[in-house]
Amino acid sequence: MNARPRVTAAAGIFLLVFFVASGVREARAQETRQPSLTPDAPTAAGPEKPAAPRPAKERMAVYVLLAWVWLSIGVLLGLLRLRVREADRVFRMGLERPAEKTPKNRVTDG
Amino acid sequence: MNTLRAWVEERLGLSTVTRYLEKKEVPRHKHTFLYYTGSSIFLFLGIQIVTGVLLAFYYRPTLAEAHASIVRIMTEVPLGWLVRSVHSWSATFMIALVFVHLLGIALTKAYRQPREATWITGALLLGLSLSFGFTGYLLPWDELSLAATKVGTDLPKALPLVGGWITRVMRAGEDVTGDTLSRFFTVHVSVLPLALLALLGVHLLLVQRHGMSVPLEEERKGAKGPFLPFWPNFAFREAGVWLVLAGLLMTTAVLAAPGVGLKADLMAPAPAGIQPEWYFLFLFQTLKLIPAKVLGLNGELAAIVIIMAGMAAFLLLPFIDDRPFERKGQIITGLAWAALAYAVGMSIWSLL
Repeated sequence: MNARPRVTAAAGIFLLVFFVASGVREARAQETRQPSLTPDAPTAAGPEKPAAPRPAKERMAVYVLLAWVWLSIGVLLGLLRLRVREADRVFRMGLERPAEKTPKNRVTDG
Repeated sequence: MNTLRAWVEERLGLSTVTRYLEKKEVPRHKHTFLYYTGSSIFLFLGIQIVTGVLLAFYYRPTLAEAHASIVRIMTEVPLGWLVRSVHSWSATFMIALVFVHLLGIALTKAYRQPREATWITGALLLGLSLSFGFTGYLLPWDELSLAATKVGTDLPKALPLVGGWITRVMRAGEDVTGDTLSRFFTVHVSVLPLALLALLGVHLLLVQRHGMSVPLEEERKGAKGPFLPFWPNFAFREAGVWLVLAGLLMTTAVLAAPGVGLKADLMAPAPAGIQPEWYFLFLFQTLKLIPAKVLGLNGELAAIVIIMAGMAAFLLLPFIDDRPFERKGQIITGLAWAALAYAVGMSIWSLL
């Protein structure tokens, strides 16, 4: 990158930072938790729900599945690599071969 | 097998497509890896559609049942937590790739003539992807998603004349309620997918029409540079990239499955530490930092004007940057880097 764009980029960042920095105090005030209207009301939903299964057996099953996934991906990548090499070899042969010109009105024997 | 192939060929004529793909050329240069980002977006889009349909079998978009149905998906439906996690993470992966794809195009100036329309459709597709994220975020109906949606839908209110109307249309009323949830669900599963598929069709058509762009330094060399046939050489490489990405997605989905928070309470105050999805963090942080008054203007109005101006500039970038490799183009590149640094910096700040 040349010096001019670099200077422009730096100036842009400086201006943006300056612009938003003036609102930092207000942002902090907004982030402060407001008092609840119903502070003692119990939540009907209960505690936060876990994301993944907790039983050890189920967790292990998931990790085994993951291992199989990566193993399959590894095998497929190996096969793809062979196909890519073959396709590239065929393409190179086609590119390197001089163009064959078929003579017009070619008479074939028989 | 050959009989079946002949039967299919006679009816569908697929060999025409194969012949076209064999003739399609993919240029080889130092930026070739960027071509993989475009096609990989398809992978995640496909995963989104499949997992989205699976989730829709069990999800109930009503005030009373939305949260409970998500909890049911997470705890009772076999592998429901995994399907939800894959859906959530593939959205993240997809949007990240859309950003990388557009960034690559912007920095290599691939939007230059005659590909302006391709850029515009791509930028609109980014907008649709973000809309998917925004509407999908509310669907679990937990306190965090409610608070974030309130903030997001409140934003257009600052606009004069139409602002209040836009907010009411988005919320299906004055406030975020069960009607908002139903509306967001409908938009998420029917309006946006239809719009996306239509726009994607146009985008792909334009990509096929103009071919793949090459960086200017390659173009300046004059002679045709090295290339690969799309089928099978590039397609096999692409398949490898897809496999690795699918593996990464699966691993992330298993190891970092998203939970579900407490059920949203319309009367409760906003919880501490509300945050939108990562791709809106820089906007969120900017909004928090903008003072109440900017040059005598309402702070929110100033913010929304700046955001809209930024979006318009992004959409019309090929027309603004009409001399991409002259001084003007270099200045625009500098500004693009500055904007990127700003977005990353703000996002990180928001997470701290």
